[in-house]
Amino acid sequence: MRLPEVERGDGLRTRMLIRVISLALGARLPDAARVAFYHKGFVGTALGAWTQDAMRGLSEWSVAERELMAAMVANWNSCPFCVGAHRAIAVHGMDKAVADAALADYQTAPISDPLRATLAVLETMTLRPDELQSGHVRAALAAGVTTRQLEDAAAVAAVFNIVTRYANALGFAIPTDAEFDKAAGMMLKRGYA
Amino acid sequence: MSTATDDSRRHRAETLRRAMAGATAITEAALRTAVAARAAGGPPVGDPYDDLARQIGDASYRVTDADVDAVREATGSDKATFEIVMSASIGAGLARWDAAARVIAEVTDAPA
Repeated sequence: MRLPEVERGDGLRTRMLIRVISLALGARLPDAARVAFYHKGFVGTALGAWTQDAMRGLSEWSVAERELMAAMVANWNSCPFCVGAHRAIAVHGMDKAVADAALADYQTAPISDPLRATLAVLETMTLRPDELQSGHVRAALAAGVTTRQLEDAAAVAAVFNIVTRYANALGFAIPTDAEFDKAAGMMLKRGYA
Repeated sequence: MSTATDDSRRHRAETLRRAMAGATAITEAALRTAVAARAAGGPPVGDPYDDLARQIGDASYRVTDADVDAVREATGSDKATFEIVMSASIGAGLARWDAAARVIAEVTDAPA
């Protein structure tokens, strides 16, 4: 990671916490968690609460579908850490082949029409936000997506348009597949707040 | 018509926006809000912040060690540099949230 103090923690308590969780995990604590522990008085609490709400709050989307949306945003933003982390969580609730097909090309992947139409909205929102228009939303509604589902998906995409950027800018270390799998179990158990 | 759900989402977004621009940071609030706006496509900010903020907004995967080191040198600490990186990321993300929320409201609040 590009800022050493973020990697090691900004106080004795945080450094001990990083060490204890790494031991319990049996792997180096991923950099995303180190950022969540750092400078908590700044934006960490607000961002953690929004992330937890978007990813684990009540929604018509499953946890796996929301994790896939996060991985898709990461893919569009070329963030390998977030693709690996959120794909690893998504595949606890959906077939690995389906998740990988969506990441390769969601237009042809074997996913539901509402999810496909929602991903089209999120792609424009992520890559060309100035081009996002009512027609995109109407197309999703016509495909069976509810307003609530669109709002929920937009919240996921907004949060991960933030997370992917600082992950890339701070130069997050990329865990192995086995480490991603271990962290996924922790994220399913503990959530994001 | 607003629903409890979109009110809750707006609350989360506005809470984050206030935290980013708030008084719990060590950098100037004006710098953080300018960096956030720059990453959302806004006007240039001073060197060395401009390169990092623009890159985080446009193509964060292209951020280099030199971009971050230049800001680290100017701010004098990892904590202040972290605030700049987070502010730019939040600016870009909230701009996308604002765009999506506006378009969803345009469609769903329109008379049938």
